[in-house]
Amino acid sequence: MEEKYSSNVLSGGQLGMVEVPDSRLTRYIVLLVISKVLKALGIFESYDILKVVHIVQFIFILKLGSAVFLLFFQKPFSSGKVISKRQWIKLLKHAVFSCVISLLGFFGLTLCGPLRTLLLFEHSDVVVIALLGVLFTNSGGGPSKTRGAAFFIIAVICLLLFDNDDLMAKMAEHPEGHHDSALTHFLYTVISFLGVADHKGGVVLLVASLCLKVGFHTASRKLSVEIGGAKRLYALDNLVSAMVLLPWVIVLSATTESKVESWSSLVLPFGMIIFSVTILEFYVEAICSTKMETPRCARYGALALFFSALLLANFWTHPLTDQLRSMSKPAHHGSTEHVLSGGVLVSAIFFIMSSNILSSPSKKGQKGTLVGYSPEGTPLYNFMGDALQHTSQSLPRFIKDSLKQILEEYDSRQIFYFLCLNLAFTFVELFYGVWTNSLGLISDGFHMLFDCSALVLGLFAALMTRWKATRIFSYGYGRVEILSGFINGLFLMVIAFFVFMESVTRLLDPPNINTDMLTPVSVGGLLVNLVGICAFSHAHSHGGKSCSSHEHGHSHHGHSHSEHSHGGHGHSHGGHGHGGHGGHGHSHGSGGMNANMRGVFLHVLADTLGSVGVIISTILIRQFGWLIADPICSLFIATLIFLSVIPLLKDACEVLLLRTPPEHEKDLNNALEKIEKIEGVLSYRDPHFWRHSANMIAGTIHLQVMSDVVEQRIIQQVTAILKEAGVNNLSVQVEKEAYFQHMSGLSTGFHEVLAMTQQMESMKYLNDGTCIM
Amino acid sequence: MLPLSIKDDEYKPTKYNLLLKLSGWFRSILADKTSRNLFFFLCLNLSFAFVELTYGIWSNSLGLISDSFHMFFDCTALLAGLAASVISRWRSNDSFSYGYVRAEVLAGFVNGLFLIFTAFFIFSEGVERALEPPDVHHERLLPVSVAGLLVNLVGIFAFQHGGHGHSHGEGDHGHSHSLFNGSTSHGHSHGGHHHHDKHADWHSHGGHEEPHYNDELQHLPGKGSSKQILQGVLLHIIADTLGSVGVIISALLMQKYDLMIADPICSMLIAILIGVSVVPLLKESIGILMQRTPFSLDHALPECYQRVQQLQGVYNLQEPHFWTLCTDVYIGTLKLLVAPDADTRWILSQTHHIFTQAGVRQLYVQIDTAAM
Repeated sequence: MEEKYSSNVLSGGQLGMVEVPDSRLTRYIVLLVISKVLKALGIFESYDILKVVHIVQFIFILKLGSAVFLLFFQKPFSSGKVISKRQWIKLLKHAVFSCVISLLGFFGLTLCGPLRTLLLFEHSDVVVIALLGVLFTNSGGGPSKTRGAAFFIIAVICLLLFDNDDLMAKMAEHPEGHHDSALTHFLYTVISFLGVADHKGGVVLLVASLCLKVGFHTASRKLSVEIGGAKRLYALDNLVSAMVLLPWVIVLSATTESKVESWSSLVLPFGMIIFSVTILEFYVEAICSTKMETPRCARYGALALFFSALLLANFWTHPLTDQLRSMSKPAHHGSTEHVLSGGVLVSAIFFIMSSNILSSPSKKGQKGTLVGYSPEGTPLYNFMGDALQHTSQSLPRFIKDSLKQILEEYDSRQIFYFLCLNLAFTFVELFYGVWTNSLGLISDGFHMLFDCSALVLGLFAALMTRWKATRIFSYGYGRVEILSGFINGLFLMVIAFFVFMESVTRLLDPPNINTDMLTPVSVGGLLVNLVGICAFSHAHSHGGKSCSSHEHGHSHHGHSHSEHSHGGHGHSHGGHGHGGHGGHGHSHGSGGMNANMRGVFLHVLADTLGSVGVIISTILIRQFGWLIADPICSLFIATLIFLSVIPLLKDACEVLLLRTPPEHEKDLNNALEKIEKIEGVLSYRDPHFWRHSANMIAGTIHLQVMSDVVEQRIIQQVTAILKEAGVNNLSVQVEKEAYFQHMSGLSTGFHEVLAMTQQMESMKYLNDGTCIM
Repeated sequence: MLPLSIKDDEYKPTKYNLLLKLSGWFRSILADKTSRNLFFFLCLNLSFAFVELTYGIWSNSLGLISDSFHMFFDCTALLAGLAASVISRWRSNDSFSYGYVRAEVLAGFVNGLFLIFTAFFIFSEGVERALEPPDVHHERLLPVSVAGLLVNLVGIFAFQHGGHGHSHGEGDHGHSHSLFNGSTSHGHSHGGHHHHDKHADWHSHGGHEEPHYNDELQHLPGKGSSKQILQGVLLHIIADTLGSVGVIISALLMQKYDLMIADPICSMLIAILIGVSVVPLLKESIGILMQRTPFSLDHALPECYQRVQQLQGVYNLQEPHFWTLCTDVYIGTLKLLVAPDADTRWILSQTHHIFTQAGVRQLYVQIDTAAM
């Protein structure tokens, strides 16, 4: 409701924080995306390099290179204040930590491959903080954040459990001997101590180091203020960490022989990695987070990064890219690439969704509800309800609510139970089909699933009917059930048509049917559908008797009984409604069997007929070898479906074409006669009566009255008379002579008047320069 | 005590024989430009389908026969459009007090539904074929699909031509429309301005045919053709054309390069295209069928309410219902609570005036006097 009001009246109705439109930020967004794509490229490249270069050496070169760059650009020594000794010590600690984190990160990269690393490790701080906030505090920020956190966890679990990377199994077989340093060996033993395969260990490692990274970033904020800016800190940090790593690298290169043939061929890739992974990304992120809000920056960055990672993972091992990279790539290890498995894909999607949700700023307090208009015409908003409003609807609550709504009423409950039954049967069939690898069963299962869509439609319509009327749908959503019945009927018609065509072709050329599998499945389907028919026809007869008397009596007769003493008439009307149409169930629409239920019922009936036909034809074919039995059966069934749908379609069409409800036609004619006989009424004009939904008949009428009568009394009388005839949403326009003359004068010049007013409107519009509305 | 009926059922002869009925239908089809176009195109389509069917039976090719059945199915959409364009010109009678104008909306809706349905089937077929590409016999495919494409191109041309034929009147009406929408600052945000323009001249074109005897019914029935039917039919033909183009492209690809995957990919793309293009039509027609407040009045109405409430003596405005009868005919009902001493006639005529400016052609105002 709140959505409707705010979105339709004043272009979103968002007040409070003003969001800068994307168009003004296009430059920065493009820059961000490019830098993220380059970063993904760099990570992929560094994975290749890490196969030949030792990890500590790699990080040392990375840090050193970026330190040189940054020293050149940032000039941390010549500009800014002098750094004290204590600050140097802090800087040293900071550098050691950053070394550890990048060690962990790149070690994770060697374990999991670039795609998984990018997915896991490259989350923005905003996202991770929001995630941790949801997980470990009470005020997480509403259900949408909870959903995001759930997505994140699902994604990690997907990576852990459903990522069947057979390369990993291969690598896990030779954990010893491959390692060439104490450090990697230590990490391997830690991971194998955890008792998981090592790529899963990598996932765990990456998640842990992600948390570490975020904590480290947050903690280093104070230091960056002390030092004088994040950029200066970054430059110095790179330098110091390179110096910290220097002794280790010297020892390492002295003790072990390197696998690298020529360092010169690695200069270019190293330069590219240094540029893309450390320098460009850092600067672009800094610029973007000052120009845009950090959450939005994080959102776009994450999207770009993940998508480019997915693309790269797909094409990195492609022969074409191999050709392109042939000069930069030193040694190719054959089949040591990590494949793109389904689990990774799913988890990537979940990661994208979760980072999208988690990085979106919470909307609290930004939206007001439109209350109305002030006398000057400016819209009024209500911000009071903010404490009660939810940022977005929680998913479990939504499910609970809709379940409650479904179970509340008889119709929807029936449909729901039958839907569950049908779905269960379908899934058993599908499962069994997949298990026994029978294509027939699977395709039949999908057919069943398609059938369920009719049920879902019916269920949705039954729910939607009960929605309250809004400003836009001022009569309420009651028509949904008629529309749904109409759609169901149409689909049945189409299906019948296709079955007919199919059977005609088969009649000309009977194919050989494999009858082995058919019987048990079709008997099962028949049983399910029989249950459905019982349920719905129970509803039908039920509706005919008690439901009708409940609903019907409540809505029409109840009123007419209480307001007037025309009880006899009301009764006779009820009797007429049922007696005249012999409980056929189709014409007394109001209450019992509405169009929606009829559509669903017919659908189920058609399915049942289908299974009966299949069973009969199977028996005939088996017993007598009559191959012709199958098409004849389907012809027959198609005709039956066709015939049974026609009345439903006809009724629905009539309602949609705004026909005067046929079962009330006689009453309405009588009522009109009575109206003419009311004292003071001259005549009536344009009587329109139409059925809006099952229990609502709307009507409009113009009355011409003598100039000396009390209008109010006439309106009351007319309303009473028509209400008795079944019209429960009526508006009567009473016209006296003077008005009629005025209006006819207005109407003859309708177009002229319209054009004139439009011109005036446009003039006003132009002069004001702003829109009034 | 006989029910009185003023309107004679000229267009619904019940007692005449079949021949007269048929000729009446025929005449009413030919009377209007759109239905004439539809009818000729239907004939063309049907004859093509029959030629295909007979040739298929003669040469005993199952593919041709099934294709011709498909064509017959396609014809149902045209038939629905034609029927709607005829039915919507029937006069209103006692049962259908608003006339049959809504048939056009219904026809558009049905066409849209069928299109969605076909798109769904094509898509699922495409997925199935993408998983295991079957061997398509492409020798017979090409001529048939080229012929189908030609027929459909004729159809598109005919309907486009219909639109252009009236283009001399378009400037004026289009202009007034845009002014009209300009005041509401909503204008073209709902699904295409050109449809509006096109509709405007259809509208004006049909308007001269019948003598009007009722000042308000003048704007109601008898516009014959309108946006919904045309849009639905045009979409259908475009979908067919796209289908033929896709088949031709994929046949060529298969012949030249042996790209078996081309066929399912083409059909999936086409299915998505169809589905996307149908959505606005469906949305609009469902809105009309569900008695939604008209899109174009969404922004004008609050202002009107405002102005009505500022009239002297009006206390309150209750139960405002506004809905679309058929394209561009809006109907509204509302109840006004007025002061006991208010001048009801003045209020009534002012209210009518205000809403007429907003484009509501038929208004019912019930005036309730507040209790002292």
